[in-house]
Amino acid sequence: MSVTPSRVPVTVLTGFLGSGKTTLLNRILSEKHGKRIAVIENEFGEVGVDSELVIGAEEELFETNNGCICCTVRGDLIRILGQLMKRRDRFDYILIETTGMADPGPVAQTFFLDDELKSTFQLDAIVTMVDAKHFEQHVDELNEPAEQVAFADLVLLNKTDLVDESALTRIESRIRGINGTARILRTRNADAPIEKVLNVGAFDLNRALAVDQAFLEPEYPFEWAGVYQLDAGDYLLRAGGEHHEHEHGHEHVHGEHCNHDHDHAHGHDHAHADLDLVVVPLPAATPEALQDAIEQAVRSFSEPATVVNCHGEISGRGHFAIDISHGGADFALNIAKAGAHALFFEHHPLEFGLHLTGQRPVLERKFASHHHEDDISSIGISDPRPLDPTKLNQWLDYLLKTRGQDIFRMKGVLNVKGEDRRQVFHGVHMMFDAQPERPWGSAPRVNQLVFIGRDLDRAELEAGFESAVAK
Amino acid sequence: MAKQSLSFALEARAVAQLDDYVIDLAWSPDGKQLALAGGEGKVALADVDGKFSVATLGEHMLGTLALAWQPHAKRFATAGQDGSVALWDAASARQLKRWKPGVGATQALAWSPIGDALAAATGKSVTLWSADGDKIHSFAPAASTAVALAFDRPGTDLGVALNGELAVHRIEKSRYETRRYKWPAACLTVNFSGNGRFLASGMADGTLHFWNRSSGKDSQMRGYDGRVQRVAWSDNSKYLASCTGNDLVLWDFSGKGPEGQRPLVLSGHTDRVDAFAWQSGGEHLLSGGRDWRLVLWRPGRAREPIDVQMTDGEISAMRWSPDGKHVVVGEKQGRVSLFEVVAR
Repeated sequence: MSVTPSRVPVTVLTGFLGSGKTTLLNRILSEKHGKRIAVIENEFGEVGVDSELVIGAEEELFETNNGCICCTVRGDLIRILGQLMKRRDRFDYILIETTGMADPGPVAQTFFLDDELKSTFQLDAIVTMVDAKHFEQHVDELNEPAEQVAFADLVLLNKTDLVDESALTRIESRIRGINGTARILRTRNADAPIEKVLNVGAFDLNRALAVDQAFLEPEYPFEWAGVYQLDAGDYLLRAGGEHHEHEHGHEHVHGEHCNHDHDHAHGHDHAHADLDLVVVPLPAATPEALQDAIEQAVRSFSEPATVVNCHGEISGRGHFAIDISHGGADFALNIAKAGAHALFFEHHPLEFGLHLTGQRPVLERKFASHHHEDDISSIGISDPRPLDPTKLNQWLDYLLKTRGQDIFRMKGVLNVKGEDRRQVFHGVHMMFDAQPERPWGSAPRVNQLVFIGRDLDRAELEAGFESAVAK
Repeated sequence: MAKQSLSFALEARAVAQLDDYVIDLAWSPDGKQLALAGGEGKVALADVDGKFSVATLGEHMLGTLALAWQPHAKRFATAGQDGSVALWDAASARQLKRWKPGVGATQALAWSPIGDALAAATGKSVTLWSADGDKIHSFAPAASTAVALAFDRPGTDLGVALNGELAVHRIEKSRYETRRYKWPAACLTVNFSGNGRFLASGMADGTLHFWNRSSGKDSQMRGYDGRVQRVAWSDNSKYLASCTGNDLVLWDFSGKGPEGQRPLVLSGHTDRVDAFAWQSGGEHLLSGGRDWRLVLWRPGRAREPIDVQMTDGEISAMRWSPDGKHVVVGEKQGRVSLFEVVAR
């Protein structure tokens, strides 16, 4: 009898004060896209476009379940969304801007609260704006920036013009470490194309779960490898991206630079003064040879490293820990025998402006790393074995009861025994939505699960998964 | 009304159109006029006696949230998302006064039973105004947003639904003592039973609570599929009605009361129930919802609907006339229908 209208997609926009949320909102609202967008914002009055509907919200939190923090929702949003749905001029999108310090959890959880809300609205995506200039400082000092990144489906790394490439690479790596599955888009003045921000479908169970395959691969102790075709001889591995090739001949310049930096280097020394590096000679500069060398590289990483100080020497094989605690450090790489060599780096060398002078890698590859600077991280499980539905429910029930508060986001495609269709689920803390999706057909059946949260224990999650495997 | 007869039916009398989603309706005390509030913000007036046409008086930007007719008077008040409270004169069909009691949306209004005070819930603050809109009192702001208001029948207590508690302010000359009824979930409604013995609240955690006002004892009723947003006592305080999904759920307060008892579940709808109302001074209950059906019940006498009428769309609001002989029903698409309850 009653016609069920299609659900209205809702985008949640989070980000620290000054990250560019308002700029993005104003851009979206002023572009000619023919869509009717309602904006619910906290800092009322900032949005300067009056042709659209802009409603102020009061960030009114309430717990729906007996004091459980992870069942907290936003009462003001429920009311305002209800008001919006009473308008007969329906909206194509709803955008919710949160305050800079807001926890996106309660906003997202609101859309999982009950059938009435679920049948009317579709949480589309959580978009987190990151200010490239200040992110590293904020994420070290406060909890909220990492949490906002953890919740995100899309991270807009904004104000990229205010920092250099090595900082951007470093920030992206840090974001990846927190949230292994969010898309990262670089923007200067919040200039993201509207179609990349709205209607992303991140929570749409009907769409295939788009998880970066690299994230689901095994984790390695290194983030990046480059294959170089090198003749026998000495090469220079230099840190500090601002230096130009032509300076490299002047040994004394580097010496001065290096000494100059030594005095205050320890002042802002962080935990990663040493960068681990493994050098593996390859039979050929091919992807296959690089693939074959991974095992050896992992083994080498587990062995003690030779510590190499500024101006020290690295040989053509083995595990080294190079001291990069000060800018302008350089290291000699001695190649005894000409041929292809793979250099496996603990962190992406670009984060430190590290490069092999005069050489370009003929091949390079990024790896998922389990190195985390933050207590919030992502863990992916990829396993083809079919799951027992009862045991799966038991595991997930237990997991959410015991760890729901720490797990910010959870999503997955599951291969359930006796079920022809993919089982897909999405969760925000303990709020959870699951349903069967399209059939596997001839596609290889595989479980892909992603957990993003605080103090996640891979072994615990893997043991839980194991307990759900059908025997 | 034929006292012995169980056979009552609804007969359509008139239809009008509000150019808005009908969120609430209010009868004038003499039953001759009707105020209408719209979800997009319209405030309108209809003459029930005349040709039942709707005249728009004004609006609340971004939506009207509350409507209340002043007892014993020709005035009504509205409030909205824009935060303002407006007083309207039904005789002249004009706005008398409009003001903002505080910061934030004004979500609820309640007149004292004798009509000498209007309570308004704006954001976290609750304020009390005279019938002319002069401030009488501001209660200390609560820790959370006030979402519903109600006076008890004598008008000495004002209940406020908050996150985690119902606050009950005693209205005495220059003294406002507050009693708190706590439960760790958001209270969505506040409902005094007419006999003064109980205070009930629908909760966001899918429970319905009632407190015995003399002992303070809290009882919890469960089994709801989501937020309990609509709660109403029957005029005789016998039943506390609520809804979940397609059903009405009635708790029976006669005898030993509802504790440990199963509620009366009335199933006559095929989609969600969005509105229901008890007959003024009577025992009938009317319900409506997304299935376009208007269902008349007589709980305790019949478990089955005693009449069903089809409307033209999803039903969003309904109110009985003060004499209990008529009922007006509003739809989401703006249609407003007047029915008379007749003995068959």
